[in-house]
Amino acid sequence: MGGLLSYFSGLFGSKERRILILGLDGAGKTTILYRLQVGEVVTTIPTIGFNVETVTYKNLKFQVWDLGGQTSIRPYWRCYYSNTDAIIYVVDSMDRDRIGISKQELVAMLEEDELKKAILLVFANKQDIEGAMTVTEVANALGLPALKNRKYQIFKTSAIKGEGLDEAMEWLSNAVQQNK
Amino acid sequence: MYTLLSGLWKYLFQKDEFFVLILGLDNAGKTTYLEQTKTKFNKGYKGMNLGKVTTTVGLNIGKIDLGKTRLNFWDLGGQEELQSLWDKYYAESHAIIYVVDSSDRERIEESKAAFDKMVVNSSLHGVPLLLLANKQDLQGCMSLGSVKDVFNPIPQVVGDRDCSTEAVSALRGDGVYEGINWLAECIKRNVVSRPPTQKEIT
Repeated sequence: MGGLLSYFSGLFGSKERRILILGLDGAGKTTILYRLQVGEVVTTIPTIGFNVETVTYKNLKFQVWDLGGQTSIRPYWRCYYSNTDAIIYVVDSMDRDRIGISKQELVAMLEEDELKKAILLVFANKQDIEGAMTVTEVANALGLPALKNRKYQIFKTSAIKGEGLDEAMEWLSNAVQQNK
Repeated sequence: MYTLLSGLWKYLFQKDEFFVLILGLDNAGKTTYLEQTKTKFNKGYKGMNLGKVTTTVGLNIGKIDLGKTRLNFWDLGGQEELQSLWDKYYAESHAIIYVVDSSDRERIEESKAAFDKMVVNSSLHGVPLLLLANKQDLQGCMSLGSVKDVFNPIPQVVGDRDCSTEAVSALRGDGVYEGINWLAECIKRNVVSRPPTQKEIT
């Protein structure tokens, strides 16, 4: 019966997919969230806690959680892992010093059982700034070639300019529909 | 007793896991080929709309079962800057599928160059290789023969490995069965030098 119900709700596209936006502090997670939701750049302050919004793309609804990225609050990310359909991992492409920490956090996160089925999107953000890391550099620095059992895709984004986000949402909506 | 039973269980259900790497330039049709393979070999698999396939910058995965053999596919991005990531997968691969866009005469040399670089890599020594002349559904594309002429693998370069070419149309699904079945046979023949990765089943 439940299956039947979810089948019908799937037909109308009203099932909300749960998306987490994660990454170190200052990567641009909150800016991305509100770019996706209202299409504008909002002034943000470091998130302590979380922001959650419903984003509609085509006829799909996404419940998008943006969690604070500071060192002290990263341990709480795991409280939000269950039932997650996709993870958007945001990297500050200018922050070469902390990309190693970003990698550690990503690796630890992907080992979690609850996220085994989740699709991974990596946003190489802040591409509007000159000298930003390229896709290949980001992939290598995050150790992505070591991922062998998970579908992932990297996007060059600029949350400030709104570049790359549409493309990513398009890809994401195809990927979640296929993954169900 | 437990050991005996679990041994029997394993004997019955454990699969030999093999990894197949799908390579080629961007827009050669690697992801479409993978989707088509998954659709053809997995009953009830609802493939994605092939018109919606976008450029891969990352990894797509897929798996199919052929009897006791399980093939896992890795489909990597083919853009020039992403080609440097290919070799990270070589050591664990049991076979290579190299996809060529037969309709793109301008980039055939570029494809050949990437192929040459890949094929001489020592981590791929002896690994079976399937070269696909894709997009045969398009009018005026190069025939399998002329693609072969370009790639004309000099025996020393290709070395001691099983090697085959196939004319396919990933979009229409022509030639997918034959290629995959051939590859599976070669992988099984090659188990001595590349044993399967065994995954514990629970």
